[in-house]
Amino acid sequence: MLIELRDVNKTYNNGQPLHVLKGINLNIDKGEFVSIMGASGSGKSTLLNILGILDNYDTGEYYIDGRLIKGLSEKQAADYRNHLIGFIFQSFNLIGFKTAVENVELSLFYQGVSRSKRHALAMQYLDKLGLADWASHYPNEMSGGQKQRVAIARALITNPKIILADEPTGALDSKTSEEVMQLLGRLNREEGVTIIVVTHESGVANCTNKIVHIKDGVIGQIEDNRQHSASVFGTSTIMK
Amino acid sequence: MRFDLDSYREITDSLVRNKSRSLLTGFGVFWGIFMLLFLMGGGAGLKQLVSKNFEGFATNTTIMFSSETTKPWQGFKRGRYWNLNYTDVERMKQMVPELETVTPVISSWRQTAVNGTNSVNANVKCVKADYSKIEEPKLRFGRFINESDEAQERKVCVIGRRIYEGIFPEGGDPCGSFIKVGSVYYQVIGVDYNSGNMSINGSADQAVVIPLSLGQKIYHRGTNIDLLCVTGRSGVRMTSLEDRMRQILARSHNFDPTDKQAVFMINTEQMFALMDNLFTGLNFLIWLVGLGTILAGIIGVSNIMMVTVKERTTEIGIRRAIGATPRDILSQIILESIALTLAAGSLGIVFAVQMLRLTQSIVNHIPDMSAQFQIDFWTAIIAALLLTLLGVIAGLAPASRAMSIKPVDAMREE
Repeated sequence: MLIELRDVNKTYNNGQPLHVLKGINLNIDKGEFVSIMGASGSGKSTLLNILGILDNYDTGEYYIDGRLIKGLSEKQAADYRNHLIGFIFQSFNLIGFKTAVENVELSLFYQGVSRSKRHALAMQYLDKLGLADWASHYPNEMSGGQKQRVAIARALITNPKIILADEPTGALDSKTSEEVMQLLGRLNREEGVTIIVVTHESGVANCTNKIVHIKDGVIGQIEDNRQHSASVFGTSTIMK
Repeated sequence: MRFDLDSYREITDSLVRNKSRSLLTGFGVFWGIFMLLFLMGGGAGLKQLVSKNFEGFATNTTIMFSSETTKPWQGFKRGRYWNLNYTDVERMKQMVPELETVTPVISSWRQTAVNGTNSVNANVKCVKADYSKIEEPKLRFGRFINESDEAQERKVCVIGRRIYEGIFPEGGDPCGSFIKVGSVYYQVIGVDYNSGNMSINGSADQAVVIPLSLGQKIYHRGTNIDLLCVTGRSGVRMTSLEDRMRQILARSHNFDPTDKQAVFMINTEQMFALMDNLFTGLNFLIWLVGLGTILAGIIGVSNIMMVTVKERTTEIGIRRAIGATPRDILSQIILESIALTLAAGSLGIVFAVQMLRLTQSIVNHIPDMSAQFQIDFWTAIIAALLLTLLGVIAGLAPASRAMSIKPVDAMREE
């Protein structure tokens, strides 16, 4: 098992204690393409933050590749994030004053990879995502789909064990959303990257091979969706 | 923090991105360091200008001259005039062993020195050879009065700068030529370029200095002397000897030993102390103003960095999410702060040095004025190091705020 969650609980204590995750048990294998689906307030974002080592959990155990992720120091957490996890965000979260290639390079910069090597690698990944011509453009000169592809390149470049995508199509139109999801699917199929997508859109979830429903902090149904027939709106569209 | 070209680019990028803000913030530091260094250089120059007035004077000198008594004593009425005389020299030497030099001066004012058709106003000072210990001559040509001149009553003189310029307009070494002062011809043996303004008995550049023994005869002064100049041995405080010296004079000239106004004593020690205090105070003020201004500048930097960090919450959050450690963020913010202070401060140092140079060239164009208005090299280096340190301090608060940014904040700040 690549990811193993055992009875993970999380409570926010901002005035009124809020029990967000109530005993999550989840296993995700290497090479899976999973979506975590739930309405807003279901706890899916919290679960994503815990999966991404961006947040702590209170009780339970979380293993990545057999490594227990608990009570890490900031430095260690940063190190794991850098090496194990690639993030794709809803609003792309590219750094505005850096060009596409500089954005992609950034995670390698923090790994201490030498300048020329990380530049070459970043160019290689941009090329793979069809953005080689856009390498020296700034994010505000690119379309949403292009920005998200830059973000995907940045997530892939460290060769992480898991790609975590938080509403990766949230800021895109339906056509681009489709493209991005197909891209993620292709990466999963061809390169065997483990991808976890958090979404509230059934159309997006439908593109993945396994749908984990979360509701009120509890994992509900886990659907096998290799037929991509989960969406009530049909198999080929993402509704916007 | 990993250091390579991009680390520097990160820093310059973020400073250049907000050009006007960086400029305005940097100006505070720039102005602060400029003020401090300019005032320091200016203060040092001013001190030199003022010290020029005291130049060539021994710092532990007391000069005495007689005056009317103000107290009755042993049947004598007050208001009696008395005179220092030649015996007082030996008396002082023997009874006050702390004194190194005791030398008498007589002078004759408002004389005219003549050489051919040139003439100039002069004061004649009659001194012994050891007068050079009191007021050190800066000989441009020749030598000072020596003991043989004194013993043989030679008609020789050392002339001051203005006398030399006035009656030897063609310049050159005047030694050997004869000049007339009053009705007597003297052979010039030296030219004294001492230009201090503190000379007792008129300024040194208007003096014609002749041997004392000769002066006594020419001006019919008998054994009376005008001034008694004494210097203490090193480590002796002249102030502490004043009462004893007054008592010695009082006993031999029959006036009240407590009559302070019967003997005028001018003590250079006190004057130097006064000047030193003045400049210590001035320096304190300079540091206060300079450091205050720098501090204001640094607080400005800190403040702006704080705003910048707040603005960049998302960016910092992204960096954290993709693997920057808190240390990476810390060093980035602190390095930005150092870069800003150091760049602005270095400009301030350069500007201050240039302005001091300008001041110096203006001042040195004024006749009779010359002073170094420069800060020394190490002051500049220390200032630069201080700036780096201040940059770190300015960056501390913003950096700790930046470090407290959690990666989740990046996503929350939508």
